[in-house]
Amino acid sequence: MSDITEPGRSGRNIPPIAISRMTTEVNLTGSWKYIRPRYEDRVAPCNANCPVGIDIEGYLYLLGQGRTEEAASLLLEENPMPAVTGRVCHHPCEDGCNRANLDEPVAIHSVERRLGDIALASPPPAAPDPARDEKVAVIGSGPAGLACAYHLARIGYRVTVFEAAPEAGGMLRLGIPEYRLPRAILDRQIDRIAALGIEIRCSTAVGRDLPWSELDTFDAVFAAPGAHVGKDARIDGASDTRMVRPGLEFLKEVNAGGRPVLGDHVVVVGGGNTAMDCARSALRLGSEVTVLYRRTPLEMPAIPQEVKEAKLEGVGFRFLATPTAARAKDGSLVGIECQQMELGPPDESGRRRPVPQEEGRFSMIADCVLTAIGEDCDLEFLPEGVEISGGVAAVDELCESTTARVFVGGDAADLPRSVADALGSGKRAAIGIDHWLRERSGEEVAPPDLAALRFGPGGNLSIARERGIDPLHRASPVNEVAGWDAMNPAHFEQAPRHEDHFHAAGDLTATFGEVNFGLSEREFRDEVDRCMNCGVCNRCELCLIFCPDMAIHRRDDGEGFEIDLRYCKGCGLCAAECPRGAMAMSREES
Amino acid sequence: MSQTIIKDLMPKDELLASGHLACPGCAAPVAMNLVLKALGPQTVVTLPACCWSIIAGPWPQSSLRVPLFHTAFETGGAVASGIKAGLAARGDTETTVIAWAGDGGTFDIGLQALSGAAERNEDIIYFCYDNEAYMNTGIQRSSATPWGAWTTTTPTGEPEATPKKDMVSILAAHGIPYIATASVAYPVDLVEKVKRARTIRGTRFIHILAPCPPGWKTQNDETIDLARQAVQTRVFPLFEVENGRNWRLTVDHADEPVAPYIRRQARFKHLTDEQVERIQADVDDRWERLQRRIDCGT
Ligand SMILES: Cc1cc2nc3c(=O)[nH]c(=O)nc-3n(C[C@H](O)[C@H](O)[C@H](O)COP(=O)(O)OP(=O)(O)OC[C@H]3O[C@@H](n4cnc5c(N)ncnc54)[C@H](O)[C@@H]3O)c2cc1C
Ligand SMILES: Cc1ncc(C[n+]2csc(CCOP(=O)(O)OP(=O)(O)O)c2C)c(N)n1
Ligand code: SF4
Ligand code: SF4
Ligand code: SF4
Ligand code: SF4
Ligand SMILES: [Mg+2]
Repeated sequence: MSDITEPGRSGRNIPPIAISRMTTEVNLTGSWKYIRPRYEDRVAPCNANCPVGIDIEGYLYLLGQGRTEEAASLLLEENPMPAVTGRVCHHPCEDGCNRANLDEPVAIHSVERRLGDIALASPPPAAPDPARDEKVAVIGSGPAGLACAYHLARIGYRVTVFEAAPEAGGMLRLGIPEYRLPRAILDRQIDRIAALGIEIRCSTAVGRDLPWSELDTFDAVFAAPGAHVGKDARIDGASDTRMVRPGLEFLKEVNAGGRPVLGDHVVVVGGGNTAMDCARSALRLGSEVTVLYRRTPLEMPAIPQEVKEAKLEGVGFRFLATPTAARAKDGSLVGIECQQMELGPPDESGRRRPVPQEEGRFSMIADCVLTAIGEDCDLEFLPEGVEISGGVAAVDELCESTTARVFVGGDAADLPRSVADALGSGKRAAIGIDHWLRERSGEEVAPPDLAALRFGPGGNLSIARERGIDPLHRASPVNEVAGWDAMNPAHFEQAPRHEDHFHAAGDLTATFGEVNFGLSEREFRDEVDRCMNCGVCNRCELCLIFCPDMAIHRRDDGEGFEIDLRYCKGCGLCAAECPRGAMAMSREES
Repeated sequence: MSQTIIKDLMPKDELLASGHLACPGCAAPVAMNLVLKALGPQTVVTLPACCWSIIAGPWPQSSLRVPLFHTAFETGGAVASGIKAGLAARGDTETTVIAWAGDGGTFDIGLQALSGAAERNEDIIYFCYDNEAYMNTGIQRSSATPWGAWTTTTPTGEPEATPKKDMVSILAAHGIPYIATASVAYPVDLVEKVKRARTIRGTRFIHILAPCPPGWKTQNDETIDLARQAVQTRVFPLFEVENGRNWRLTVDHADEPVAPYIRRQARFKHLTDEQVERIQADVDDRWERLQRRIDCGT
């Protein structure tokens, strides 16, 4: 019998039982692949839809990790007033939210509001080092002006804001009523902005209290005067009485603490936010209120939530109707004549134009009519070279006007008009002014790469991107929206959305106290959980667990993963299973 | 929770090495990785001939960081029993001994050895990773191959004519302490079942559906989704059985139609709509029987 350990035919020693003493790692099976995976973070559609440009997916991720302070600071990087937008923004972010495909959008505005309030409770930020010598003048302390001032101050510019009104805030203070935006919140939000070393000079209207030439000492000017001139509703006989009033003027009076007597029957003309705010404010002053709108509910430009609340509070609506004449007796208004309308062919805005219906005349009792059919800008104070087109200043993407050194933004340059659009505009202006000043000072600066600074294909820009700030350590991010088709819905379960809690209608009309209480702490947490962090790797590790080849490893610094391409066979399972479109596959180069 | 945060639920052990020889996108290594994570390093694997014999690498390599014993095709149940007895003789009662076999090695040629072990209630966990054919030798049919499927021995002109053998019922009839079905698409459920099995003594049987891109004629990146769809269509329901009774579902099963699951696999591409209907009827019938067992607890 031969010794079984003696050399076999192959010349090798074959033990009685062959025992392996090495792993398969000597086989570089990565050579089999013809496509390869990579980590590549995308932009969430909520963010792409936000006119401000806020890393929503990012701060929701940080909140989900319990990193609340970092979440707040990421939010504040882009949005100087989250406690305000969380309350009054029409939240187009939610219209884009991927979660709508699964159940309902994340209540982003409610989360933003609560996080904004958390941030308000922390000590105000320290004024940054005045790293730049240049001085910038900002005209108007609405959201556009304050946003521009905020971002410029954070870069290190010295900023002075000139405001015509006795207090800062623009429409947030003058137009939006307290029951939607408590003044204590607004004051604290503005104080924190001013704490960056920004000087706000109130009761100083440029062109009236301060000639434009006084601004010559500033290196750049950002004008954000808003749109404050109520459009004329052209009601015959309106001048016979003081009770046919521009709605915005009424709101300014009420918001400054005035409590005018309007009478029993108030008619509000218009279908936008100003109309809703007039109606609900008049209701709180004890009147019975009817809104007259010349189109149908579908065409109303007001935020749908505002319309809903107005209805709940008892505001009456009459659609397809417009006032034609006021009936006054001894200077007091007694009623109005109205014309019934019907929808004709579409006008230049694409909406069907209301046209008078024959025989459709009626009258209404009215002690007061508040007109709120839109606002125009007063841009008289601007220097002559600034081109005005369609009632607003003509500016480029970074708000630069046709006159050197002068930038214009917010409602005075933009349509649509909203707080979020104004904040986005102020941010764009800050980026524009910063580049313009650097260039002027002889610094070698490349023109701003707008495509790279954007979140998605829209017009918003990111300061965090400009400054290279990313607490999420995104892997080679691309500016591509992670839409629903990029997601893997298998990894999410349905969970109902939490809605804000409201003051019960009925007992609120006598008060201007806040009507919306937002979410509870638990509901806030739930909404954070509901967010799918579209496009950004949230380290869920599904790619790692599904890789058949053990080719994915956690990075030593804890920020994401590495793919060992020596072993990855290019099956694509990692990218296919990633719940949130944070991976991509590409062909091997031969 | 509206989403699964898997990383908090997954044991961190990495007992499967890269460089193994599975085809791209194969579910079999995913299954092994998850099972070894759940069992931990104190585990011995018995491996009858199957794709995994290749995946484990040629001598002198091994893709497992635990002891692995290659053995003959029909012997998984017997050799695992023997290894367990050997360890016990040396006073080691803690090491988990598993058999890891394909469907051919389980449903067909290894059934005798498995039945013997189950009958003796050997203290082993028997895993069947089921890719629904003899894949290692080039896609021949097994008694786990579903009705209507193409394989090289059931060509499209004459596809698989018998339905998949009901292995779980056969094992349940042995009255062994624990049986479970599991899926690579439900890693948390799979790991929980394996951990549970580890705490039980006696013969435990875990049946894992393991889609195979070349054998099923599907894309490499579809494996996990196919496994998930098999559950959501109730083709491969996820449940547990204790002592041959107490049948219990472990995840929510949607009631998705089977047609999309069947139609995306080219191994079924010759089937007519009527034939797909027949598969649906069979799935419904099996689901109903499963429900009855769940309802009456036996
Ligand atoms: C009643 C009402 C309700 C609204 N509700 C909402 C809402 O719920 N959500 C929403 O998103 N949007 C709402 N809007 C729109 C939103 O308020 C505006 O789009 C936004 O405030 C525009 O910001 P801005 O900074 O461009 O201008 P503004 O906020 O109008 O601020 C401009 C400021 O410039 C000052 N100013 C003007 N001229 C001069 C000058 N020559 N010198 C110095 N200062 C000057 C003005 O006094 C004012 O304070 C509402 C608007 C109104 C009128
Ligand atoms: C007695 C015997 N017959 C045939 C073979 C050849 N053989 C090796 S693996 C295999 C098929 C295994 O099929 P399965 O158990 O389903 O595992 P899979 O390869 O599909 O993973 C066959 C037929 C063998 N090794 N021993
Ligand atoms: S789920 Fe989250 S990240 Fe995705 S769109 Fe909605 S809010 Fe944005
Ligand atoms: S699967 Fe999870 S961990 Fe992997 S890239 Fe996607 S989000 Fe990140
Ligand atoms: S799952 Fe693994 S092997 Fe497949 S492509 Fe991704 S890294 Fe490569
Ligand atoms: S043939 Fe199928 S089961 Fe076998 S290694 Fe390839 S993919 Fe896996
Ligand atoms: Mg097989």
